[in-house]
Amino acid sequence: MIGIDRRLLQNVDWPLLGGTCGLVVLSAITLSTLHVGRAGGTVVLRQLGWFGVGLIAMVIVASIDYKKLVRIAPGMYVLGLAGLVGVFALGRSVSGARRWIVLGPLSVQPAELFKLAFLLTVVWLLVSRWAQPITPGVLALLAPVAAVPFVLIVKQPDLGTALLLMPLLLVLLVGAGVRVRLLAGLGLAGLAAAPIAWFALKEYQRERIMVFLDPFRDPLGSAYNVIQAKIAIGSGQLLGKGVAGATQSRLAFLPERHTDFIFAVFAEMWGFVGCLVLLACYVLLLLRGFDIAATARDPVGRLVALGATSLVAAQVLINVGMVVGLLPVVGIPLPLMSYGGSSMLVSMMALGLLLSVRMRQFQ
Amino acid sequence: MAIAVAVMGAFLVIVGQLWYLQVLEGGHFLDASDKNRIRIRPVAAPRGILFDKNGVPLVDNRPAFTLSLIPRELPREDQNRDAVLGRVASLLQIPYQELAESVTRVPSDSFLPVRVRRGLTLEDMAKIEEWKLELPGVIVEVEPQRTYPNSRFAAHLLGYVREASDEQLKGGRYRRGDMVGQSGLERLLDEFLRGRDGGERIEVDALGRPVRVVQHTDPHPGSQVITTIDRRVQEAAEQAMEGKAGAIVVMDPRSGDIRALVSTPAFEIDRFTATIDRAAWLRVVQDPDHPLLNRAIQSQYAPGSIFKIVVTAAGLQEATIAPMDRVYCNGEFHLGAWTFKDWKEGGHGSVDLQKALAQSCNIFYYQAGLKIGGAAITKYARAFGFGTATGVELGGEKLGLIPQPKGRRKSWQGGDIVNMSIGQGQVLVTPLQVARFMAAVANGGVLWKPRLVERIERPDRGVLYSDPGQVAGHVELSPAVWAFLRQALWAVVNDGTGIGAKIPGIDIAGKTGTAQMVSHSKAEKGQDHAWFAAFAPVRDPEVVVVVLVERGGKGGQVAAPIARRILNAIFFEKVAVAEIRG
Repeated sequence: MIGIDRRLLQNVDWPLLGGTCGLVVLSAITLSTLHVGRAGGTVVLRQLGWFGVGLIAMVIVASIDYKKLVRIAPGMYVLGLAGLVGVFALGRSVSGARRWIVLGPLSVQPAELFKLAFLLTVVWLLVSRWAQPITPGVLALLAPVAAVPFVLIVKQPDLGTALLLMPLLLVLLVGAGVRVRLLAGLGLAGLAAAPIAWFALKEYQRERIMVFLDPFRDPLGSAYNVIQAKIAIGSGQLLGKGVAGATQSRLAFLPERHTDFIFAVFAEMWGFVGCLVLLACYVLLLLRGFDIAATARDPVGRLVALGATSLVAAQVLINVGMVVGLLPVVGIPLPLMSYGGSSMLVSMMALGLLLSVRMRQFQ
Repeated sequence: MAIAVAVMGAFLVIVGQLWYLQVLEGGHFLDASDKNRIRIRPVAAPRGILFDKNGVPLVDNRPAFTLSLIPRELPREDQNRDAVLGRVASLLQIPYQELAESVTRVPSDSFLPVRVRRGLTLEDMAKIEEWKLELPGVIVEVEPQRTYPNSRFAAHLLGYVREASDEQLKGGRYRRGDMVGQSGLERLLDEFLRGRDGGERIEVDALGRPVRVVQHTDPHPGSQVITTIDRRVQEAAEQAMEGKAGAIVVMDPRSGDIRALVSTPAFEIDRFTATIDRAAWLRVVQDPDHPLLNRAIQSQYAPGSIFKIVVTAAGLQEATIAPMDRVYCNGEFHLGAWTFKDWKEGGHGSVDLQKALAQSCNIFYYQAGLKIGGAAITKYARAFGFGTATGVELGGEKLGLIPQPKGRRKSWQGGDIVNMSIGQGQVLVTPLQVARFMAAVANGGVLWKPRLVERIERPDRGVLYSDPGQVAGHVELSPAVWAFLRQALWAVVNDGTGIGAKIPGIDIAGKTGTAQMVSHSKAEKGQDHAWFAAFAPVRDPEVVVVVLVERGGKGGQVAAPIARRILNAIFFEKVAVAEIRG
């Protein structure tokens, strides 16, 4: 199964890999300035270690024909669901959330890995012959496929990851050529469901949304993160405060500063100019991704590339949007930047999917 | 490729928000981040030290532990905050209410520590430190605090130091929690003694833990005050007065310097400085012996026979009496329908002026007073400073009273003059007035303004203020009269009622007084105020000692021995020092 011939290697997307490496370097620099908890300075080493693991995973994914992966996607989906259920039985609880399953020295977030299984499964469904053209009936079949994991993930609770499934689904539907009228109907249904969803949310999740609407409602409680992040970003000004001057980050005013809020740390240290460089790396990455989708040799490749790119894009936009105060706070890591093994692994595998599509462009 | 366009559009929105936050509003957020990490910790300036005239400290500072709350760092939820305060209350046995009130008086986002309780013991501090992690916003500060040689040392003279009251805070000169002199010299010289507090700007992390000191401003210690007090004499006087109510003033007749100022019973000055609880405070305020009253300047007494010195001076100077005038004292004197008695049953027999003063013969002075007249007596009494403030710079000084003639015609009634001649009736004086008067007798008529502060020095030894002494007035008597007074007062101690003050080897002059209570009943017998006023050595007086014992009995029996102990301490020690040097 794993075999790379020379033709494939000629089509490796070097700009994509370059952007990835650039981001990982920025991540390592940022993490190395933070002393986090008991892990201390080893955070950066572990992150680089995960990057290494991620590279191997990426190469493996890239070397497999994506069509084969899509074919076995339903199996992965079932395995993923089992993992999500398993979290409730075996999961390790960290600050009130059961998101991790401990495997020896490692702890894995099934929800992270499930995103890829979900992506491939939806592609598998959409390219099936019976699903063409996409009718309300097909959508009705898709609904439970999305809803079951959604509910399971929300219950962990991990609202951010669960919400991520929605734009992913939406992009794949659009990519598969769903009619605008159907989409509009879906949107209306979503709006109708919003009040119900509100009551299904946990108290702290509702509070976060309220805080997003009015950050100074509770300056030391839930809004603390938002305000501290804004202060960190804003005080970076045009050129940043440098590593030594980044008091917000280094003095630990910023919560979750090595994970979800790492962008604020970066913004404080390197200012507006630094942020532009960082975002440019992502834009480069994503434009390459969209280009790969556009030039894929078949609809499966197109959807896989589109899905993988959208997955990364949605995470970047939601995470940065939340850190800069444009979106409510939901726990979503910044791909390739935030500390965290599962996130790194999944991002690298998504890039692996892109490479896989790119390399088989002319086959 | 609508999706790609939408994603890029979203990126542009984010860049726009970053531009807004970092470039447009960046300065504002930079301020906010500075405020976030900087805490200000005041560092209290050590209060200036009060020294005695020989450079021996009267008070000192020692580091003391103060419990403080930082409102900003206390838990924000009422429930959790109450739990923290409740724990502190139970650890230190402080009423919970006291803690809660002190926090509500300041804004809840204040970084400045609110001092809640001073004078924590070492165990108290250990308890707080032990629970530190569960007590966010609770700190123990180290502040310099007053410490005294003993619990009641010179309490009225020095005065106590306490946190500024609400009233004082209104003036705007003090911050909440400032220590302010509330009475005595501490209040008079507060401006000089308090110094200027320093402070530290400390960078802290999100949990309020100090990371480093950004800026440190040293406190400016208060100025040092060199008083005129002689600590040795003050201590001797306090010991001599132990167990009695009254006052002692020791003054240098050459300068008006006050060497000792004692009022008993005294309050526990050290307890007033730390946090005093309500019960203890009420005990002091409601004490029937009024320990807060400075009897040396705030209580007025009839001078009794001490006033005979004034009468003698008036009569001799006005030539209405002469030293050789003789009176036969049989113990009674009749004026109209009234009978005035001598203190001695059966009288003193034939007495001349000197013997009358030495034996304190009332009968002689009744008649002398009538000859001299009320106007002359009050004129000399005023000249000697009675009825007016001495100007001592301690608060609440009483003026005393020299009576005016009563009635529409403003003429003196015989009975009033007779009473006044032996220092009874309406005449009222303070012990300090008596001391100043006695100093004038000793130094030949110079009426000093009592001096308490010799000079005030900055910590770097620059003199800020110095008092060269101030003459308030002169009493003009002929040298023969001064000489007679000295001779007669010497006789009081060596061959009269003041024999109890006699010390072999030192020529002491003095006068006893026994001030009768106005409502004189059998039950109150022996409830007279005992006076003794002395100066020594007679030839070249260096010291005046005035002793008043409230309800002590006879001046000669009660007050004179106390004066003797003080004089003994002054001169015995002095001789010893001279021998060592010698």
